Amino acid sequence: MSSATQGQSGPTDKFPVIKFVSIAIISLVIVSPLFLLIVASLKPDRFQILAEMGSFKAFIVTNPTLKNYGDILTFSGNQPFARYLVNSVIVLTFTLLGGMLFNSMAAFVLAWGRLPGRAIILTLMIGLYIVPQESIVLPLLNIMNNLGLADSFAAQILPFWASPLYVFLLYQFFSQIPRDLYDAAVVDGASPFEIYWKVFLPISLPALATVAILLGIETWNQYLWPLLVTQSNYARPISVGIAGFFGADSIYWNLAMSASVVMMAPVLAFYLMFQKWFVSSVISSGVKG
Amino acid sequence: MKPRAGGSGTILKWTLAMAVVELKKAKKSFGSVDIIQNVDLRIEDGEFAVFVGPSGCGKSTLLRMIAGLESVTAGEICIDGEQVNGLDPSERGVAMVFQSYALYPHMTVKENMGFSLRIAKRPKAEIEERVAEASKILQLDALQERRPSQLSGGQRQRVAIGRAIVRNPKVFLFDEPLSNLDAELRVATRVEIAKLHESLGNTMIYVTHDQTEAMTLADKIVVLRKGQVEQVGPPLELYENPNNIFVAGFIGSPKMNFFEAEMAKGNKLTFAGASVVAPTAKGAVPEGAALTVGIRPEHFDRDEKPDGKIDVAVDFVEHLGGTSFVHGFLSTGEKVIVEHRDAGSVKSGQSVSVGFSAKDIRLFDSEGRRIR
Repeated sequence: MSSATQGQSGPTDKFPVIKFVSIAIISLVIVSPLFLLIVASLKPDRFQILAEMGSFKAFIVTNPTLKNYGDILTFSGNQPFARYLVNSVIVLTFTLLGGMLFNSMAAFVLAWGRLPGRAIILTLMIGLYIVPQESIVLPLLNIMNNLGLADSFAAQILPFWASPLYVFLLYQFFSQIPRDLYDAAVVDGASPFEIYWKVFLPISLPALATVAILLGIETWNQYLWPLLVTQSNYARPISVGIAGFFGADSIYWNLAMSASVVMMAPVLAFYLMFQKWFVSSVISSGVKG
Repeated sequence: MKPRAGGSGTILKWTLAMAVVELKKAKKSFGSVDIIQNVDLRIEDGEFAVFVGPSGCGKSTLLRMIAGLESVTAGEICIDGEQVNGLDPSERGVAMVFQSYALYPHMTVKENMGFSLRIAKRPKAEIEERVAEASKILQLDALQERRPSQLSGGQRQRVAIGRAIVRNPKVFLFDEPLSNLDAELRVATRVEIAKLHESLGNTMIYVTHDQTEAMTLADKIVVLRKGQVEQVGPPLELYENPNNIFVAGFIGSPKMNFFEAEMAKGNKLTFAGASVVAPTAKGAVPEGAALTVGIRPEHFDRDEKPDGKIDVAVDFVEHLGGTSFVHGFLSTGEKVIVEHRDAGSVKSGQSVSVGFSAKDIRLFDSEGRRIR
């Protein structure tokens, strides 16, 4: 009891100022842009936003209005914002469904299948993870064009159904499942697919949640790839759609800000609801969230 | 055929399968390493066979080969007269109980027990009937809706056994099923398994490194060492008549004492200052031959008129309540353990004289083979 109390208060009590200043700086760096974004989205005049940018006035709103949020839906010109939002949801849903299925199936086979050259495949996969996505964008774009998938949902979904990172994450989880459990299912007459589907997947929910969260954030925030692969509004997601508010001759800061808030809101809400899962997923993945 | 009845007197409808398990020159190699070497073994229908041996002797591998979880490098495995080398585990008519229970953590007790039948797409009514009946035998009725995490170790093991029973196997395979249980529960579950065998009458193969489990459960013990069968036989046969020094040392707890001995004139054995008539035919062992004498700790001081006596310098005494084990050294420096019913007065540092009978001596040659 006494040691627990000492453990809790010991290091924090020694450096209260350092602790406070550190937290204040981190909060300022992370929270201030978000605060700025929300404040700007409530200002009615785009020129006012531009004029106040860079001064403390940028953080203050005197006449808040939700008008911008209505305007983004009825914005004149070629900007169907509601459509972008729906497109993003479609891309997210199918990327998650396929991504979870194929990444977990690949991981299961790597962990438990009698696969010749398994070690080589694993090494290659980790190697692939090191390759930056930007470096394969152009060949991938070429493939999509040749397949006739340019400007489609499929072009935004299919490439993300397999990811070395998520296969490896799930592979690590599956590898830790005791051999006896697999053997028990084999003796019970389950086929490899039944073992995967009926035994391994249901007990891998923590790992699947990790993958779902990371893949979901990655998909929702995608910018470069959908920018290259979508040429029309048909399948364009919200992340690219926001760029439409930055016209050649004028920038609609107020609308861009409120659209950014709309884009960010589901992620924030989701984060607040599943905070624990987010933290554990980032820790277990060993990557930046 | 043995009558097959439930523990509570219920006749089990589905427990009529019978099987002889036969291994013919069965071999298992991993690369150039032979884990199991040409094992020939026959386990009769309804027999309870226990594989024992030190860690790494291949007993679990042999069980997994019978289950079909490990392939057979050479030789044959037959169940019920049919060669099963190429068959999947589920087609062999075996059910296995694992050391770690291996229950599906996301399923309830009921779902765990009925999993194999659901995979086999059996009618729902049949699944429920079989699960209910197995639950009744194992007294799991009240736990049907619980998940494994809500069960104690003993209950989990009972569910694992229930999952095996539901499959109506020809052969039950147990891979160290009691190792994860505490001492008290281990005894209780051991008795339950013995009763289960008595009531179901199926062929059962059981792997353990525990002496007591092997001795109390087995109809037949198979002692393995380095992938080879050292001796097969009923527990008492192995205890009384071990074929070699390894089996003699492995069966019995504490293990048999071994002393260096020499064959002297007149068929007399000399060791540790004692001289007794050897329990062998005269002339069977040449004079001057180096031998090993084995005497079990519990065989000292059994007879009022012993054939010989040895002096033991007491190192320490283990009091177990009903009995005590006196650990000490002979004049030759060899270690010795003596069981004493009444060792209250024996203290460390004392010297005691203990008697033995020639009939309790097991004699081994320099190669470790038994001389009878």
